[in-house]
Amino acid sequence: MNQFETVPQPAPSRIGIIEFERRARGLTGIVVKGFLLSLVTFSIYRFWYISNLRRFFWSRTIVAGSPAEYLGTGKELFLGFVVALAVLVPVYLVLFLLGFAIPTLAPFAAPISFLFLFVLGQYALFRGRRYRASRTRWRGIRLGQDGSGFAYAGRASLWWIATILTLGLAFPFMRAALERFRIDHTLVGQSRMHSTATGRSILLPWLMFYFVGLLPILASLLALLAASGFDLPSDLLIQDPATEKSKLIFNPAYAGTSLSLYGTIVVVAASVSIPLALILIPYYRAREIRAFLNATNLGAARLTSALRARQFYWPYFLYILALLGFLIALGIVFALLLPLLAEEKPTVATQATLLAATILLYLTTLLGFAVIYVRLVTLRLWHAVATTTRIENLPALEAVLASSRPPASGLNEGLADALDVGGAIEIGF
Amino acid sequence: METHSTTGTFFDGVTARPRPVTLRLTFRLEILGEDLRRDWSLLDLRVAETAPPLMRVLHAEGQESIEFADVAFGEALKARCPDLHRSERQGGLTRLVLWSVAAGMTVVLAALYGVPAASGLLAPLVPGALEAPLGRSVETQIVALLGDPPLCNEAPARAVLDRLTARLTEGMTKDGALPPVPQVSVRRHAVANAMALPGARVILLSDIVAKARNGDELAGILAHEFGHVAARDPIRAVITAGGTSFLLSLVLGDLTGSTVLVTIGQAAISAGYSRDAERAADAFAVAAVQRAGGDGAALAAILERITETEDEKPGATSFLRSHPFTAERAARIRALARTGQVSDRPSGAGILSEAEWQSLRGICPEPEGKGVGKKGAPSEKL
Repeated sequence: MNQFETVPQPAPSRIGIIEFERRARGLTGIVVKGFLLSLVTFSIYRFWYISNLRRFFWSRTIVAGSPAEYLGTGKELFLGFVVALAVLVPVYLVLFLLGFAIPTLAPFAAPISFLFLFVLGQYALFRGRRYRASRTRWRGIRLGQDGSGFAYAGRASLWWIATILTLGLAFPFMRAALERFRIDHTLVGQSRMHSTATGRSILLPWLMFYFVGLLPILASLLALLAASGFDLPSDLLIQDPATEKSKLIFNPAYAGTSLSLYGTIVVVAASVSIPLALILIPYYRAREIRAFLNATNLGAARLTSALRARQFYWPYFLYILALLGFLIALGIVFALLLPLLAEEKPTVATQATLLAATILLYLTTLLGFAVIYVRLVTLRLWHAVATTTRIENLPALEAVLASSRPPASGLNEGLADALDVGGAIEIGF
Repeated sequence: METHSTTGTFFDGVTARPRPVTLRLTFRLEILGEDLRRDWSLLDLRVAETAPPLMRVLHAEGQESIEFADVAFGEALKARCPDLHRSERQGGLTRLVLWSVAAGMTVVLAALYGVPAASGLLAPLVPGALEAPLGRSVETQIVALLGDPPLCNEAPARAVLDRLTARLTEGMTKDGALPPVPQVSVRRHAVANAMALPGARVILLSDIVAKARNGDELAGILAHEFGHVAARDPIRAVITAGGTSFLLSLVLGDLTGSTVLVTIGQAAISAGYSRDAERAADAFAVAAVQRAGGDGAALAAILERITETEDEKPGATSFLRSHPFTAERAARIRALARTGQVSDRPSGAGILSEAEWQSLRGICPEPEGKGVGKKGAPSEKL
């Protein structure tokens, strides 16, 4: 055992590296167990599954020689979810009844619920982060987060309004402002982290995404609206009478008008821009994570990231390839079942076999998708972010003192789960 | 006892400073470093989850911990510490699974049986002030689901329809069986159907008017829907659908609420009432038609005709539509009509005169172009 290679040397270097083992033995087992148990427990097991996943990812992330530690439990998350339900169910009922009780409000019931749940979702996101921070320990020091969830939700809402009013141009500034708010309220022990993230640092990647992916659609839509005098006829798109399918076509009545011209432009712009936007999302994400990590410091110690966009493309590329391969394999299995389907007079036994095979095939598909996603996307993205991040001026971290504040309760994340915001594992800090 | 030793890092849990130490494992664990000396009992050691070869051992009391990367040392430690994994014991997994299965079953059973029972109790308590706007929004949704069929309102036919409604509900509004006078609307649609909605709203689709051969048959259909209104079946169905989808979305963790709203509309249109509710509405219809001077058994005739034509239509959904229940219903309706015959009135004279009937048939005049609501919604709710 050449233990001396991994043990931190008595005179620590000034640069701390973050290691992450990509082979991740045992991860597939966690996913399979989590999937199957979630299935039989009406998805109640998902809280334990998420905790297992986090414990795995945290403990394999070795920061400056010391692995991180996740202390959360499934029980905490579950109780948080139950409490969140107790808060949310009356809210939903009120929102639901409001639509009926005040008929003039009825058309606005859906937008009102959406707005309300959006603000609540932002609150839940921030509080969920607080829970995760307080359940993270490194070198015996717990992380933490303070700050008001409502303040965060308020900021997020105002920023979103600004983003919509500027047709998306304020987006990078919103991301940076919210990142600063989150990081500035993150604590390692008693030491506060600080972020100098600016919207300008991600303006270029955003503008690239914006001009290629969003602007053509927005501009052509605006042109269409302007051409119709901001009063779009409701029968511009009608069901195709030729096929009787739910396929929508342009109403021939508008053929030759400027509306049909602009309508065609919208369709062309969307069919070009949407795929391009999808292709550019990993690029933007990688650039944003790199810029934000580079802007993060804790006292004199600061993070640097050398994340490259291609490290974010490769996982998705592999993911698509793996999915295709998996689907082909499933197709072969299905083809083998076809003779059973074609049988003239199926006996009860064949029918039972067929039913069992169909259910099995369906579950295998879902399970396969889950495993492929976690192994190829989640794991590789996590690996890419972790291993390209370094800590400069590492000795400054030694001054960090543990905090005596009590850890946040699991209730914080219950709301986020009940609202279905924030995935199990978030890439980035 | 064999002595193992290795080097590691000590963290005091107060600062993040790593302190290099030498670890010596005998019947206790000795930790030796610069200005540092710990002597831990093996019973107090707990291990945290790490990827091998790294290992982190914590002291059960206090925040101190050590990390080392020596597999042999780790194995020796595991062999000597009985409680190493105690804090991490994944106990109660079976219990968790059993309890959540039980909880899920409870919710599903509550959704299947509890909610219908509860809505039966709740439906009579819904005040008219709340039911009226509910009926309005359900009607909007259903009309949208049917593909926005146009309203049919030929004035002479409308007058006949209003008179027919008044005659069928005569005497019932007074004794409180049918709270407000039902609002009947006719819409052009290629599916022979009629439906009762909350707030005493009844929608007749034009094809059912076309399929009826005389006034008594149409009166039977109308009275059947009035029967549902009198029994408050529509509001009960809406409460049941809402409650069930709400409960199920609770279990499945989807609480975005939107699904609840959509399901209500769909359930109200596609799911029929229980057989008991249908029988009660049939009995109501026979009595009402006979009281108004019509032939109560006419309802049986039109029911059978509609079911037959539906069955003849090819398609995957046809097996959903054919129901032997129709035969049973028709037999019951005929039996009821025989026993409930009002002796002093000749049956078959008809509830409407021939002129009135011809006028009512013209409620949906053929439009110039082809109607929009061509595609029929899968519904069978007579």
